[in-house]
Amino acid sequence: MLDYLSFSFKNLSHHKVRSFLTLLGVIIGIMAVVSMISIGSGMKASLKEQLEQLGSDKIFIIPRLAYGTAATTLTDEDADAIERVAGVAFVSPLYSVAGDVGFRNERKIVKIYGIDPEKAEATFGGGASGYRLLKGRWLQRGDRYKVVIGYGVASDVFSRDVNVGNTLKIHGVNFDVVGVFKKTGDREKDYTIYTNLDTIREIFGAGDKVTMIIARIDKGADIDLVRLRIERMLEKRKGSKENFFVMTQKEIIERVGEAYRVVQVVFGGLAAVSLIVGAIGIANTMIMNVTERTREIGILKATGASNAQVMKIFLTDAAILGLVGGGIGVALGYLISLVINAVAARYLGEGVLTTTVTPELVLFALTFSLVIGVVAGLYPAYRALRLNPVEALRA
Amino acid sequence: MVIKLENVVKIYRLGKVEVPALRGINLEIPRGEYASLMGPSGSGKSTLMNLIGALDRPTSGRVYIDGTDIARLNDDQLALLRRKKIGFVFQQFNLINKLTALENVALPMWFSGISRSRRMRRAKELLELVGLEERLHHKPSELSGGERQRVAIARALANDPEIILADEPTGNLDTASGMVVIELLEELNKLGKTLVVVTHDVEFGKRARMRVKLRDGMIQEIEGVNHA
Repeated sequence: MLDYLSFSFKNLSHHKVRSFLTLLGVIIGIMAVVSMISIGSGMKASLKEQLEQLGSDKIFIIPRLAYGTAATTLTDEDADAIERVAGVAFVSPLYSVAGDVGFRNERKIVKIYGIDPEKAEATFGGGASGYRLLKGRWLQRGDRYKVVIGYGVASDVFSRDVNVGNTLKIHGVNFDVVGVFKKTGDREKDYTIYTNLDTIREIFGAGDKVTMIIARIDKGADIDLVRLRIERMLEKRKGSKENFFVMTQKEIIERVGEAYRVVQVVFGGLAAVSLIVGAIGIANTMIMNVTERTREIGILKATGASNAQVMKIFLTDAAILGLVGGGIGVALGYLISLVINAVAARYLGEGVLTTTVTPELVLFALTFSLVIGVVAGLYPAYRALRLNPVEALRA
Repeated sequence: MVIKLENVVKIYRLGKVEVPALRGINLEIPRGEYASLMGPSGSGKSTLMNLIGALDRPTSGRVYIDGTDIARLNDDQLALLRRKKIGFVFQQFNLINKLTALENVALPMWFSGISRSRRMRRAKELLELVGLEERLHHKPSELSGGERQRVAIARALANDPEIILADEPTGNLDTASGMVVIELLEELNKLGKTLVVVTHDVEFGKRARMRVKLRDGMIQEIEGVNHA
């Protein structure tokens, strides 16, 4: 085997340019496959992580948007009605608004979530949920002019860091910062201020309107059944179910996942095309190789090489091209995935997209390139061994 | 007899036309003989050479090499026979350009499954035998024609074959290098190898003990042997 390898290396290095070009074809193909699949599987992994992080015991009720405004209004009464649905443990009505927020002498527009302070921790905190305190405490019952802020609000929005004990001026009203959340990696969560639902509605004159209701279900309850019950009940209250969404977290993630899947298929298709190009490149080189080496095949046969030995010589060439090209391709694909990671972290936020090059992917890519090399080399090798030595020598 | 041909006919097909290259050859060459095959081009001497060298099969008739009828062998058996029994020396040298002299000589031993160290050692000895101990690591392109042909002779000896077949071995060489090659081949014959030379160089051909003259695919005359 070693002899076949060394013979092949001599041959391939004898035809440097041709070998390099073939190699390039394989490299590009495998590189594309590895980087594309790493993006795809990275998306899948982060999606799965998000799903696990969110838990699967929450149902979200939001009004559907029509012509840019909500088609219906959800109110506290709706929230109370949902809370009475069998299987619902409790609900957290939520009011979100983009408000004008002042800190020292700076003013910025920041997203504000109004929540029931008593239920804040139960709704957003604890367990596998994304919110963890970095400093200070959660909102508590009776907190009126207190806020807990996301990591981004604390560190990035204003030129100076906002800390526990500082005062933020929301719509002209002073609020004390009582807590700062750890970075969640979700931009939406990190750049939001959390405060008392009633206080914020008062300030913004929103009456008893809510923008979202989060219902947490009883332990062991069938989430799809509860979701259906809420939907039926709201349909009766609101007249039509076209005006609002009742979604479980799973559905939300699945909707996003659907979009990702399309992306993954597109990436996979691109990778497949590059692979086919690589395979054709190898086949082309190998056929040229055989044609150019007709005389050499004659010499090999005259000096006693059997058909199997000639075949092995040519297949070794092809396998080396496939494997070396594959190896370099995997390495470059891995580098590209690292670059994508760095770029994604910089511009999309930490943890939004983390590409993953798994050992399985590496193994798959190497096997694939080896197989492609050998398959692409089979036909030329077959042609090589069918040659009559007399004719081959005359070439 | 190390080589024995009975009623050998070889017909080439060029499209629909059949070209008879050999039309009924009967020939026996004893072990250790020095034979030359002579004749004008188109007389069939190269075709005969290919059959004796087990590079091709006859259309009809029998070709025995050391007792084996090559017409009955499959490709692999033919390859094995060439590997063991026959060493070729070609007019065009037919060395592999990307390999050094040493590697070229070692090549047939690779196919025989001889270990790398043993075949390198033997290849070196053979190159010393043909006087090329200074050229072991040169590639064919770095050697003169005469040197290349001596590498080819060393390669022909690699598996210690019974028969050395030389097809116009001096055809591409100047007189002086040609002479060196001829003397080298004759020396091998003296050491016991059966030597068969194809040539249209009359002077060279005359040196053989057994001289076979071909014309139009038939044997015209055999000299130097007492045929009953």
